[in-house]
Amino acid sequence: MKELGQSLIRKQLPRLVTAALATLLSFVVLICAAPCQADSIPPADLPHSEIMRSGEKMYRDGILPSGAPMLAYIRGDIEVDSSAFSCSSCHLRAGLGSFEGGVITPPTTGKKLYQPYRRPPSLGDITDQSGRVIYAKTIIERPAYTRESLATAMRFGTDPAGQVFNDVMPRYPLSDRDMSILISYLGTLSADPSPGASSSEFRFATVITDDVSQSDRLALLAPLQKFIAQQDQQLKMYSDFNKFGYAPTIDMKYAFRSASLDIWELKGPPESWQKQLAAYNNNKPVFAVLGGISNRDWRPIHDFCEAERLPCLYPITDFPVVSESGWYTYYFNKGYFQEGDAVGRYINRLETLSAKKTILQIVQDSPIGTALASGFQNSWNELEHPAVTTLTLSAEQLRNPSVLHKLLKKHKPGVLLLWTDAELLPQLPKLISLIHPEGIVFVSSGYLGTKTVSVPESVRDKVYISYPYRLTPYVGSQDGGFDAKVPILTTFKDFGDRRITSRSTTMLKQATLRGLNLLYDDLHRDHLLDVMSMQMDLTVRDYERLSFGPGQRFASKGCYIIQLGQGTSPALLPRSEWVIH
Amino acid sequence: MKKQFPALIPFLLLLLMTWVLTAVPARAESTRYKRTVEKYKLPDVVLINQNGKKVSLASMLNTDQPVVVDFIYGTCTTICPVLSAGYTNLQNRLAASGQMPRLISITIDPENDSPNVMKEYLKRYRAKPGWDFYTGRRADIDAVMKGFNAYIPDKMSHYPLNLIRSPKDGSWVRLFGIMSSSELMKEYLQVSGK
Ligand code: HEC
Repeated sequence: MKELGQSLIRKQLPRLVTAALATLLSFVVLICAAPCQADSIPPADLPHSEIMRSGEKMYRDGILPSGAPMLAYIRGDIEVDSSAFSCSSCHLRAGLGSFEGGVITPPTTGKKLYQPYRRPPSLGDITDQSGRVIYAKTIIERPAYTRESLATAMRFGTDPAGQVFNDVMPRYPLSDRDMSILISYLGTLSADPSPGASSSEFRFATVITDDVSQSDRLALLAPLQKFIAQQDQQLKMYSDFNKFGYAPTIDMKYAFRSASLDIWELKGPPESWQKQLAAYNNNKPVFAVLGGISNRDWRPIHDFCEAERLPCLYPITDFPVVSESGWYTYYFNKGYFQEGDAVGRYINRLETLSAKKTILQIVQDSPIGTALASGFQNSWNELEHPAVTTLTLSAEQLRNPSVLHKLLKKHKPGVLLLWTDAELLPQLPKLISLIHPEGIVFVSSGYLGTKTVSVPESVRDKVYISYPYRLTPYVGSQDGGFDAKVPILTTFKDFGDRRITSRSTTMLKQATLRGLNLLYDDLHRDHLLDVMSMQMDLTVRDYERLSFGPGQRFASKGCYIIQLGQGTSPALLPRSEWVIH
Repeated sequence: MKKQFPALIPFLLLLLMTWVLTAVPARAESTRYKRTVEKYKLPDVVLINQNGKKVSLASMLNTDQPVVVDFIYGTCTTICPVLSAGYTNLQNRLAASGQMPRLISITIDPENDSPNVMKEYLKRYRAKPGWDFYTGRRADIDAVMKGFNAYIPDKMSHYPLNLIRSPKDGSWVRLFGIMSSSELMKEYLQVSGK
């Protein structure tokens, strides 16, 4: 055995030595590079815009200007390439840092780095919480950086005072030129405050399109205007305190600002909305769009906010833009898409359904029908099932029984997805008699609205309904307090309720206000989105749970599949988990 | 066991060299990680892996190899990159000697972490076969965290933890804190008894 081991060493050793030497060499190169000061000036041959573009790519994606991934050493000795995680994974997009799991990631913007820094006293290293040791102490105080000492910090993990960073911050062996580009990028990151905010004021707007009814409009504006009034009232109380000689803490100094709300009314065809939005925003720029409401596709507003880098916080829409890359709009959920998506995941998990292979999707030719169908197709594709037969029919065709009867006789589906409005409900018993004897039907509570409850009793055991709201009793008051004595129950009466006021109130009180208070004097829109994405989960009136995370843009991930009990006041019977995987 | 022994020598060499090499970039006089040996009573739950497959916790652990467990989530900052880079590294190092460690990551954000999100995450970290990422019902995930005395009410107050199960007696080495890859490797090899 010993011999075998030795022969293995003999075979492996040359390779190991070469690898080791190569690594050693690259370090030597770096060590020599460090004092050369080439990174102390930005590359002269590159235009500013190019430096910013390349720097952003390094910072956000971990990709070098050459296109190769950035190399990093983490935890002391682990070599990783930065395509898995980049600077912005920890320091976040605005560069103002994060606080997660007891690790404080400090700001990394030029503005903060070239000044002495002392961590805000409220952010202490968590000491020995419930018997747990501190595992990643961070540096509390340091002198100002220069471009040179910044390069040393990133390469070797030491600050200008020679203090060594903990093992969470990777060490980056960058070339002089790449380092110089990155440092120039950090210099511009969150350098200027965003429009619409000042030390004394936040300006907000909300968006209302002309298809919205008067009552829905009021349901939105009531909580928004109350929120603005409260901000101003708190500011007044705070000034009164100051007048009486009360000395504010640093945290408090930034917590109170006056606020204003403009209403951006959008009229006419959606193609003209972007122009209208631009006119409003140019006239009086706002820091963020608070909520908003439309019955139409949210896309033009979404695209405007992306282009202007303008946060849009939790609008009331059932037609959000479902994309992986959207950054500036935070949505409650994916709207109708989410219902269709959940149905796909539910069917995927049905193990007993023998007739599952024949799925027929009937889609009413309407934006809602289309959104439901694309949600279903999304999850069905993701789960790697073959495409299902999909038929899009006009409202007239759907009203004509013989059209549907013929189709069902022909396909005999085991699963029928009926993405239609409630007009079809009286026909359901006849339709169900034409599908596979063990077949089942799926409908959307969003599309059926208040009429969901009129699914005929004789077929309720065959009909499954997507329902994207909370079902378990909510212990709390409508507006997010926990003071209610009687839990709020969801009942059949809630079908069709868009929950405009309660959802907007939740968004303002629980999510937005906390985000604004955490900004202190870093008045950057990207920072607001960063801090809001680092929030703790919320238990709220309308959804079982709202959850957040960097890059997560749909706070509610759930949608139940339910059935109706018997009678005219049917029970809502959950047939799935809140989130179906 | 006999067969594996020679493979260890190049490893130790590699460890030694890495240690020598990393003496170059500065390293904090780090707070040492905390190591304990524990017995856990784990719940009888079924979780879902990155391929959408249901797997019971018991069957994940039913193996004559050590099993490493951590808790992470798809959009996590700071700690998860550190933990997952550790997994990638452990896989790479052991793969050099033909070993495939059993690595389990369990999400603490089961709402967002669908099989698809988890599959993408593993791809980003260049995971090799043997590293599986699990989601499931929140109640089940909570039960698993509680079983490991690692219940985190909210993912934002998460902390770094690695657990290594000994195939011999089912005991667990509990490693709290951020370890270097050599330290993790050493702990792994010690449990594997090789
Ligand atoms: C895995 C998380 C992580 C990643 C990735 C990361 N950092 Fe850090 N960074 C930290 C932490 C944590 C600290 C604080 C270390 C300490 O105080 O001991 C830090 C500290 C710093 C500091 C020192 C700040 C100061 O005030 O002294 C700079 C500068 C910095 N990082 C820049 C970067 C850049 C640029 C990148 C990408 C090339 C990057 N970091 C990637 C976590 C990270």
